[in-house]
Amino acid sequence: MDLPAGTRNYSYADDMTIFRTRTQKLMLVGLFIMLLAIPLWMNRTWLGLVNLMGITIIAATGLNILTGYCGQLSIGHAGFIAVGAYTSAVLTSRLEMPFLVGLLGGGVLAGLVGVIFGIPSLRVKGFYLAISTIAAFFIIIWVITHWDSVTGGFMGMSVPLASIGPIVFKSEESQFFLIMGITVLCIFFAKNLARTRVGRAFVAIRDNDLAAEVMGINLFRYKLTAFFIGCFMAGIAGSLRAHYTGFLSYEFFTLTDSILFIGIIIIGGLGTTLGPILGVVFIKLLDHLLTHWLVPLIEGKHILPAGFASGITPMVFGLAIILFLILEPRGIAHRWQLFKASYRLWPFSY
Amino acid sequence: MKGTRLILGVLVSIVLIATTMGACKTTPAIDPGKTPFKIGMTNPVTGVAAEKGAPMAAANLDAIEYINNELGGVDGHKIEVLALDDGYDAAKAVTMVKRFIDEDYLFFTTASSGMMTAMMESANRDAFPGIVAFSAPNLTQPPQHIYGQTPDYGDDWTAFANYYMKNIWKGSGKPKMALHLLNNSTGAGAKKAAQAKAAELGIELVDIKEHAATTSSEIASLTEIKAKNIDVLYISSTPAPTAVIIKNAKELGMYPGITIASGHAGITKALVDLAGADVVEGVYGVYPTVQWGENVPGMAKMTEYVRKNHPQYEGNADYIVSWAQSLIAAEILRLALKNAGTDKLTPQIVEEQGFKKLKNYDVGGLHGPVTYTAGDNRLSKSVRVLQVQSGKIVPITGWIEAPLITYAK
Repeated sequence: MDLPAGTRNYSYADDMTIFRTRTQKLMLVGLFIMLLAIPLWMNRTWLGLVNLMGITIIAATGLNILTGYCGQLSIGHAGFIAVGAYTSAVLTSRLEMPFLVGLLGGGVLAGLVGVIFGIPSLRVKGFYLAISTIAAFFIIIWVITHWDSVTGGFMGMSVPLASIGPIVFKSEESQFFLIMGITVLCIFFAKNLARTRVGRAFVAIRDNDLAAEVMGINLFRYKLTAFFIGCFMAGIAGSLRAHYTGFLSYEFFTLTDSILFIGIIIIGGLGTTLGPILGVVFIKLLDHLLTHWLVPLIEGKHILPAGFASGITPMVFGLAIILFLILEPRGIAHRWQLFKASYRLWPFSY
Repeated sequence: MKGTRLILGVLVSIVLIATTMGACKTTPAIDPGKTPFKIGMTNPVTGVAAEKGAPMAAANLDAIEYINNELGGVDGHKIEVLALDDGYDAAKAVTMVKRFIDEDYLFFTTASSGMMTAMMESANRDAFPGIVAFSAPNLTQPPQHIYGQTPDYGDDWTAFANYYMKNIWKGSGKPKMALHLLNNSTGAGAKKAAQAKAAELGIELVDIKEHAATTSSEIASLTEIKAKNIDVLYISSTPAPTAVIIKNAKELGMYPGITIASGHAGITKALVDLAGADVVEGVYGVYPTVQWGENVPGMAKMTEYVRKNHPQYEGNADYIVSWAQSLIAAEILRLALKNAGTDKLTPQIVEEQGFKKLKNYDVGGLHGPVTYTAGDNRLSKSVRVLQVQSGKIVPITGWIEAPLITYAK
């Protein structure tokens, strides 16, 4: 179903190639050109939204590797994002290290913290694992709020702008290139990871961990690898978020965010590379349109009283998630696959 | 007879003239030919802080309705507001301030220190001024383009500590104080101020305890505090935990016997309702606005609008703060228009000619005078000390100015 009509695999290399046809390659080039041209025509409000989408895509992609591919449910993702954010902030502002050290340091420490909290995954799964990751979230936030001398505690801390050598990412446009560059790298990594031995091991564990173990897959190693990679990406997203907003407070990382990440990957499509991207775009656009346009319009015209109209946003969110679970549990990515399949056969589909 | 007719004629004439003049008297109106002034407003109408954000958003908009409909806007310029719900979500708040900057708004207002914390980097980078209702030291120190409408939680502590030392403490030596703090910036602000200023004021800080917003018993922490023979317990928290702490203190026999005081987040009608009037009798508190029903010039109009538009918020202290916030916003625009000599206002003009020209604006008496002081971006620096007396929270002082505390970076 994934191959265009008339395209066949004649070698293993063909089978492994992601972009097979000239059309696909041209579309990829076109997509990159479109992406690079975004700052030329998009105003800063929308560019800011795109930047936040990029950061969220990185975090959601990490969660998708952990939950979508490896089947390890995590409801503490916002906590791991916080670890990355604070590590990067501390490294760059208190220890005056370069941004790239902060970025990688944030990713690595978040990954290691993820590994520690992932250890229970060897014994528990499903709801029980979810509860242990919630505990991870609360422990992380507790440490952040009580380690005043390092994190600023309840008062938060300032974070310098991201910079690489002489380039300071100050404007929204320059931040766009930084964030999108890293987002593309993360998506590329996730896409390829899914096709490697490690990725296949993740899928085997997700589908049936007992069978996977019988097949010789080391559960201890692969589950913790999934936690490391998933939380590493959360840490990278946290670092970018810290340098983007310029200030950190523990209040920026909530359990609601963690739950929303689960919603994002369900709506987008669990276990697909495209899923987190589509999920983030859908959720963020919906949120933006409701909050910035629909609610002020309704309240401005006095159709509904102030406050009541604002309640529409969470209601629509909840409704969207319920509808996706009922009507398209495999997410927007699956709908996209169906569309492509029917488009390829059109007008001779049977 | 002739004289009586003359007198009657004069009286009738006076009545007629007065009636005609009254009829001719018009309320100031918006001039459609004049450019509207655009300001952005965000409040957490939904999300975890909706309890405070919803009445604050309502108050902001009610006051703007009053200004536009009854005061003719700002010298005939309509105030156009884009009111957004930030949902107490930092990421959302960041996109909102960027939108205000992009779409040529003159400045913005917000409710919480948490959301302003998220927005301030973008605002400061673009020199885009903003007002936050409930402030924190990190927002105004060092002073850039963010202005605190009311004193912060640290200022509360300082104001009360000063009052305590001058008016309540009659013992010898240093009074022993314990702090019981909510585990967020509400508690942290008071803690920082107490740690910075206690020694200077002659107060011995003997214990600092923290509690969660969901606490249901503080018997254990209060037992430890009791063992230290304190003279005063200062609580910086929201009403529900404050009620729990005071009730527990009473159960342990600590209160009465010591002085208990609360920061402005806790000393509201909800505290009396939750703890019971007899339990909190005599408790002190500090608050940056007047109480509902007080005889100040701005009270009647605010009460009229809350009854008309949002009767459920009558009695809500947060409503007063945001009603006042919108009045301050209008005053800033009025000053900017007057001082700049042009109606082509920009954020920079508004900040220099509006924000920085604020001097003793009384906000209809609803809160302490609003003044800009160079180097101190707190617009109102005053609180009043209150006390629960016969089940009612009554002011026992006039406006007390909280001095600026410069915190270590």
